[in-house]
Amino acid sequence: MIDWRAFVIVSVASLFSSALLVSLYSLGLRLLTTAGRIPLVDPLEFTGAITVLTPKKAAKQLKRARKAAAANPLTPGVKRLALCAGYACFVLCGIAVLYGIYLIVPALHR
Amino acid sequence: MPEFGLIIVLVIALALIFDFTNGFHDTANAMATPIATGAMKPRVAVGVAAILNLVGAFLSTEVARTVSGGIIKEGDGGILITPELIFAGLIGAIVWNLVTWLVGLPSSSSHALFGGLIGATVIGVGTQAVDYNVVAAKVILPALIAPLIAGIVALVATRLAYLITRRDVGKPDGRGGFRYAQIFSSSLVALAHGTNDAQKTMGVITLTLIAGGFQAVGSGPTFWVIAACALAIAIGTYTGGWRIIRTMGTGLTEIKPAQGFAAETSTAATILASSHLGFALSTTQVASGSVIGSGLGRRGSTIRWGMAGRIALGWVMTLPASAIMGAFAAGLALLGPVGIVLDMVIGTIVIMALFRWSRRNRVTHHTLLNDIDDAGRVVNIQKTPRRPSRPSRKRVSL
Repeated sequence: MIDWRAFVIVSVASLFSSALLVSLYSLGLRLLTTAGRIPLVDPLEFTGAITVLTPKKAAKQLKRARKAAAANPLTPGVKRLALCAGYACFVLCGIAVLYGIYLIVPALHR
Repeated sequence: MPEFGLIIVLVIALALIFDFTNGFHDTANAMATPIATGAMKPRVAVGVAAILNLVGAFLSTEVARTVSGGIIKEGDGGILITPELIFAGLIGAIVWNLVTWLVGLPSSSSHALFGGLIGATVIGVGTQAVDYNVVAAKVILPALIAPLIAGIVALVATRLAYLITRRDVGKPDGRGGFRYAQIFSSSLVALAHGTNDAQKTMGVITLTLIAGGFQAVGSGPTFWVIAACALAIAIGTYTGGWRIIRTMGTGLTEIKPAQGFAAETSTAATILASSHLGFALSTTQVASGSVIGSGLGRRGSTIRWGMAGRIALGWVMTLPASAIMGAFAAGLALLGPVGIVLDMVIGTIVIMALFRWSRRNRVTHHTLLNDIDDAGRVVNIQKTPRRPSRPSRKRVSL
């Protein structure tokens, strides 16, 4: 008595939820970039792990990002819209995670 | 009313130690990537992982019920296993775990646990005491299918992440922003780990209490069992973190933030969905599947079959090998108290010997790296012409 349906549920649920979360977050990043707010992670201080960006590299990227932002042909209104939509994507992503956790905790359903 | 014997105390202690080593061993699964990409500071990452493991353990009890109520059949006089046999199974599982860890063979502590229990039951009671339907449906099949699902999901997720953020060559694509996302995705992995792995120990302790006659057959874990297991795994996670941080400088698979995020999301989703349905799977194997899948999602990637084969071998061997260890320990335990003491002595000697041996060869390649790292090296990614030089890695000696 192997419950094959359970495997289908696991596959579909994980495929759907992962695709949704990753798409939402990626879309958020894309919109942020479109709005000229390129998310840049500063060179982090020593983490005990691998150095991620050298200061020189980070400065180079920052320059590139500023240039791209300055050359953005979008109007300020559109940019603002893109920015808002980007943040909305992140918020939706967060809500989706919380909903997923809500679904799997039986204590919350009783 | 049965008395609360020494053997039950022993089993519970041993189970909690097993739980601790599980957390100790698996911190890397969740937190190696965000630490390596610089998304989180090591101290924060390890602390968060410990807390989320603690929380995760409280979320569900489905997996614990699979262990305590499904695998071993009930007979006329209650459940067909004694605390002595569970003790033997645990010894078998712990010994096999340590051996594979030191040899650098990727294995799964969960499968070692089930193998040990099954082996001990078969020797102690007979082959009819194990419910092979449940073993197949909730342990073996998930072990084969879940990493595959996670891999496919990770592949799709990675493709999506790269597709959506793709821009013209030379324009910044903002993919560095995935590093922030990794803080959340790796936290979810830690949570998922708590929901699946802590519950296996809960299941074993509950099984012991049922076998000892303290709990009704088929009942779930009581609150103190849940709390004890949650604490054990959280402390293990926290302690294990420091070892990982120290070894991090020895090199890590090249995982880009976008890829890491996609892989972790798939891992967390697969484990959480499986825990919900009571599948007792190996979190390490799911995470490995995701890492391989996400590597294949990138352009110009090929599989190194030799490496993949070695990992698969370790996975396949774990269940039967730990079953043999468990069976051997059970054979001794059947001799009575003398056998139990003998089991303990042998277990302690093996652990001490392995510990000494590991100290002698402390800096070997394999003992330092975690299993996910092995999985990452299965996929070979060619350098794209856009990025001719790899980012420089700084070797750190602490």
